[in-house]
Amino acid sequence: MKDVIRMLIAPLAWLGSFSAVYGLHGLLCGHWIGGAVSDVPLARTLLIGAYGLAMLIQLTLLVALYHPRIGAPPGLVRFVSRATGWVGLVATGWSLFPVVVTTYCS
Amino acid sequence: MNALERHRKLTAIWASEPGFRGWFSTVNHNDLGRMFLVTSFFFFIIGGLLAMLIRVQLATPHSAFAGPEIYNQIFTMHGTIMMFLFAIPTFEGLAIYLLPKILGTRDLAFPRLTAYGFWCYAFGGTMMLTAMVFGIAPDGGWFMYPPLTGAIHSPGINTDFWLIGITFVEISAIAAAVEITVSILKFRAPGMSLDKMPIFAWYALITALMILTGFPPLILGSILLEVERAFGFPFFQVELGGDSLLWQHLFWLFGHPEVYIIFLPAAGVISTVLPVMCRTTLLGYGWIVASAVALAFLSFGLWVHHMFTTGIPHMGLAFFSAASTLVAVPTGVQIFAWIGTMWKGRPELRLPMLHLLGFFFTFVIGGLTGVMVAVVPFDWQAHDTAFITAHLHYVLFGGFVFPIFAGVYYWLPHVTGRKRFFHLGEFAFALVFLGFHVTFLAMHWVGLLGQRRRISTYAPEDGWTAINLISSVGSFVLAIGIGMILIDVVLHALTATRGRRNPWGAGTLEWAMMTPAPAYNFASLPHVTGREPLTLLPDLATALARGEGYLGEPRHGWRETLTVDIASGKPDMHVLYPANTRLPILMSAVTGVFFVSLLLKFYWTIPVAVVGVAYLAWRWAWVLGRTDDPQVRPVGHGVELPDAAATDRPPGWWGSVFLLTANATFFGSLLFGFAFLWTIAPGWPPPRWFAASPVWLGAGIIGAVLSPVSMRLAIRTNRRGGGPVPGVVLSLAGTAALGLTCAAMMLGTPPPAEHAYNATLFVLGSYGLFHATLAMLMTVFLAARVLRGFTSAVRRAEFAIVGLWIDYACITGVLILLAGHLPTLLS
Repeated sequence: MKDVIRMLIAPLAWLGSFSAVYGLHGLLCGHWIGGAVSDVPLARTLLIGAYGLAMLIQLTLLVALYHPRIGAPPGLVRFVSRATGWVGLVATGWSLFPVVVTTYCS
Repeated sequence: MNALERHRKLTAIWASEPGFRGWFSTVNHNDLGRMFLVTSFFFFIIGGLLAMLIRVQLATPHSAFAGPEIYNQIFTMHGTIMMFLFAIPTFEGLAIYLLPKILGTRDLAFPRLTAYGFWCYAFGGTMMLTAMVFGIAPDGGWFMYPPLTGAIHSPGINTDFWLIGITFVEISAIAAAVEITVSILKFRAPGMSLDKMPIFAWYALITALMILTGFPPLILGSILLEVERAFGFPFFQVELGGDSLLWQHLFWLFGHPEVYIIFLPAAGVISTVLPVMCRTTLLGYGWIVASAVALAFLSFGLWVHHMFTTGIPHMGLAFFSAASTLVAVPTGVQIFAWIGTMWKGRPELRLPMLHLLGFFFTFVIGGLTGVMVAVVPFDWQAHDTAFITAHLHYVLFGGFVFPIFAGVYYWLPHVTGRKRFFHLGEFAFALVFLGFHVTFLAMHWVGLLGQRRRISTYAPEDGWTAINLISSVGSFVLAIGIGMILIDVVLHALTATRGRRNPWGAGTLEWAMMTPAPAYNFASLPHVTGREPLTLLPDLATALARGEGYLGEPRHGWRETLTVDIASGKPDMHVLYPANTRLPILMSAVTGVFFVSLLLKFYWTIPVAVVGVAYLAWRWAWVLGRTDDPQVRPVGHGVELPDAAATDRPPGWWGSVFLLTANATFFGSLLFGFAFLWTIAPGWPPPRWFAASPVWLGAGIIGAVLSPVSMRLAIRTNRRGGGPVPGVVLSLAGTAALGLTCAAMMLGTPPPAEHAYNATLFVLGSYGLFHATLAMLMTVFLAARVLRGFTSAVRRAEFAIVGLWIDYACITGVLILLAGHLPTLLS
């Protein structure tokens, strides 16, 4: 079961963070959260913070999957788990990138 | 014992009843796989005929062939049948028939569940067809969007047929997905570690996991919409705190992964058949597995791209547009791996290969138009036009039907034991290919000219007449081609001459047996040392028939097999299967009574059906097990294994884990719906709040802690040889307390028809009460088993399974109580 988890964990974390950031975006827009942090709107700050956290989680997972004690032994599972680790990181970076560049409640 | 004697003995043990009676009592995967496939192709013919009717209607402007009411039913049933009654069941049938063979075992994990799933599918599908025969078929489109499908705008029974019929059929999909997942993870030949697993098994595993997590949102949505229609709970009515967009979210949370649930098994067929047709091995096995996993996950992050025109803020659109473009990458990796496989091999243009080439050409075009509609501004232009209809047919026909036809022709000699004689198939392929592209290329074109999907007619001055006529002519060519394929297959099955065992020279295990396959598959189970065992050991089939593998000696009339460790493929349990029984068909019939009662509003028969299902489920589990401790049993090659009942992780435990995974997705979707309505729906806050009570909340939490802790105590006491009954009784008391507090929450909620907040709390409370009741029933069952001597310190498996369900009921129960009580208490 550990091997299955190794292969699924990074994309699963992407799915969780993607849904969470989308949910946060809905919450911020639904309740019109105001205010600012250093001239950056609070809503944008929170979204960028969540994006950063999601990236950090993915990086941590990727490092763990490459770690000799945590990662899988040599073979197919190691290859697939590392590949899906990269998938999680790239998917997070690409699919949540809009928090930095697009308008958020229009 | 020689091979023939072994064959006769094993056949006597594994065969279904002779004659048509065997159809109703068989639990054998060979029979049920074939029954699934025949039924799904029957529905394919019906769906195809409906498609012909659509094209007849649209062939000319101002057509009077069918009025709008009938036309609405025709296109709704076409989509519904093709998606729910053809595509998914075809995957299930193929996987049920094939998996035990390519995995090197004798049957799937839960044979009776396979049969139950089939009968739910057959009865649910019949329910839908009955509606069509009586002219009361669903007519709201296969998306069933409210408010169109709400009680106000669709007051008839048509929509109810869809909501209830599809939910009934989905039981079959969930059952098959649990079955397939556990079978692939545990029921493999010894030595078959994950890296030696056939590629089709990887695809089937990923697809099954996707069904477990993709279908529950649709089941939830269907239940909520049916409850709204029947009892007025306003989940989707904006004026009462609901939101019709909630349906779209729930539907597409299912609907987009559904596309990949349909494509991935077909990709498994391609990855299996293509290397054989090219006389080589699959290029990039690891890359393909990684891509399939990536594709499965990414597909769950795309659902909003079906909702680009609903007024979602730009950032939301951008998230899903980005994710939608990303999904092309793992798809592309697979396409390039297949092209590479052809490049390094020596392709032979045999009939399965022709269909694979048809797939490449068609699916790539569908994928490219998919990237086009992933771009928001283009989607705004093309949304709800015939362009989208054309795109989805390129993806689904190209990505599913062509590969499935390749698979049909590839495995036909296996199913029939015959070799092709009538070479109708090549000409039929040409007609299908030509007809398909004429039909749907034209449809792209007319869509870009502005023809909306689902319109029943149009005017000559719209300028679409010639294109629609071309499209209709193409569709009839396509239909003739498909008809010829079906005739070719039937002629082959009935009249062709006997063929040799492995006509393609394939290396996978399904060809290491006589054809057609015997009921027991393998006379003895192989030890696997590579991905293509037959290539490594060409004489393997004969050796297995001589009983040189595992479990080669039939004994005690047992239907026996073994399971393996998930990762390493090392044998870990000895499993005895149940024999033929009519229990599955009976239980699905009683389940059907429940659904038909809901449909016809015969509410007094619902409790009868519920009690009936509970009784049959009790009987289902009761007939298993034994009252003496099983010995460790030799299975051959010097290996001895414990009985599954004498372990902490029996197959039933694994099945429960994956069934609860689906259940947790259902529960998560319900919580999502609650949060969505609370934050997005315009009619909030509600006029009245639930009267929260710290006493009820506290009592529920105490019950939820007491129950699993007591069960763990009972498990520990049992393992030490002590009496577990006190722990079991305490656990029962804890679950009862939890159930009571959930019931109190339901009763304390303001009238559910008044506001979506009340309705959602009521449904949450019902969910908690249902699972607490289920856990209580299982605990009472366990107590009865303990008292009747079915458990001991050795026979402990049932404790583990019941403990799992109690944990789930208690965790979800606490979350429900917190969701109901906390907001009011904190405010």
